[in-house]
Amino acid sequence: MKKQKAKGPLAIKTLIFGALSGLLYYLVFSNEDWITTTYTMGGWHTIYPVGTALVFSFVHGAFASNLLSLLGIEAKSSH
Amino acid sequence: MKKLFMCFVLALGFIFVVSTAWAGGGGGPPKNMLKGVFVKVNKDRTADFKVDGTGEIKHLILSEHVDLEEIPLERKVLVSLITDEKTHEITNEVKSVSIMFMDLTPAKIIALLVVGLIGGLLSGFIGSGGAFVLTPSMMSLGAPGAVAVASNMCHKFPKAMVGAYKRWKYGQADIKLGLFMAATAIIGVQIGIQIQKYILNHWGNAGSNLYVSLMFVIVLVVVGIYVFLDAYKLAKGGKEAETTKIAKKLQSINLPPMIHFKTAGIKISAWFTIPVGVATGMLAATIAVGGFIGVPGLIYVIGASAMVASATELVIAFCMGMWGSIQWGLSGLIDIRLTLLILAASLIGVQLGALGTTYVKDYMIKIVMGSVMLIVAVSRGAKIPGYLADLGLRAPLDPSTASLLNSISFWALVAALGTAGIIISAAMIRGMLQARQGTN
Repeated sequence: MKKQKAKGPLAIKTLIFGALSGLLYYLVFSNEDWITTTYTMGGWHTIYPVGTALVFSFVHGAFASNLLSLLGIEAKSSH
Repeated sequence: MKKLFMCFVLALGFIFVVSTAWAGGGGGPPKNMLKGVFVKVNKDRTADFKVDGTGEIKHLILSEHVDLEEIPLERKVLVSLITDEKTHEITNEVKSVSIMFMDLTPAKIIALLVVGLIGGLLSGFIGSGGAFVLTPSMMSLGAPGAVAVASNMCHKFPKAMVGAYKRWKYGQADIKLGLFMAATAIIGVQIGIQIQKYILNHWGNAGSNLYVSLMFVIVLVVVGIYVFLDAYKLAKGGKEAETTKIAKKLQSINLPPMIHFKTAGIKISAWFTIPVGVATGMLAATIAVGGFIGVPGLIYVIGASAMVASATELVIAFCMGMWGSIQWGLSGLIDIRLTLLILAASLIGVQLGALGTTYVKDYMIKIVMGSVMLIVAVSRGAKIPGYLADLGLRAPLDPSTASLLNSISFWALVAALGTAGIIISAAMIRGMLQARQGTN
């Protein structure tokens, strides 16, 4: 019963992070030319690829984590 | 005293990071490469090239290896220049031209997602891996070598961060040990780079390739067999892993500063952790997979369990990956599209691998690690005859043998990844089913 209750907020979280992640991917690939040019200028522009990778790891990582939990794939609790 | 020593090591690592990042050297691109666009190609095999960043126009000569028809105008390319064999100076003669951003077709996207997913799974489970197959895969899909290495590096640190966080939550990652090892590993990277430069200057590119491959095969075969035999004994005997004699001996030597690593449950002199860290860094700078020495080093020399060692390796991978990505970013070689496509699947894979460790016995990590190391050694070993021929140490290979060896090399990597994926998934599913039966 407790598990059933937790699934609702988990589904909402998965949906929010999934949508956000999808939006970020859409933004990157719809502006492919600008991004590939700007991100590879070298020097201080290194902030762009490193920062983008970090943002994606938080957003997409949270989506992946919630998705796995929603599918019932979780770590062994007694460990 | 202990805190002072910790601060000293971390500060040393930090200084190395800042100094190499400032100089733009370290793990950056080869010096014989130019990045930019061709603005004009002349029929007399000369061309005007606008260098990226500075905007400087260089007049280049196109060698006979370059097809004039295939040079794209106003499209970002990487140009490899010929190095004079006697003086080792870089000439303005173009050896090859590769388009920096490959066109992404649906098939290529699917390939990147699949490799990313299994690479992530492996990384979450054994603490390292993926890089040895991701870079060659990207290259075979059409990315230039330097771009493939840079884009892989940029995907490594976010993946390791997510994996390290998960395994820290499961009580497996020792952050203090990881940071300590990472700081010393960066020193090892510097030493590794200096050795590489020395070899490159004395024996050229072929000598460097041979050195990298030989190191790869020797380290992977020796350590891989040791890890595999250890895991086999444990699996057969059904016993829990014991701390090795070397680790017990080292832990018993009271050489200040003694450092207590809580999660790993170890108290050991800092002087014994430094060589393992340095060796990890040296290997990372040589064969790009430092974890293959870092994890066994943490298990057999320091005395951590395979569970803690593989989790802690993710902390080291995060620090070193972040540092490497800044380096490659400074040179402007990261294709973020490739990085993000691999991340899309590897962030799922790494979490699956991390939670998978909670369902398996300690020796399972050693089995996967040992098998992967040995299969990867075959892949690299297949490259050695070609490099020996390049150096004139044996007769040139005939085209059919060269092509066969290349295929063996590539497919061995795929086999390593496939084998790891199957062992991890099977162990995880079995563990999950047993856990469910236990609760019912």
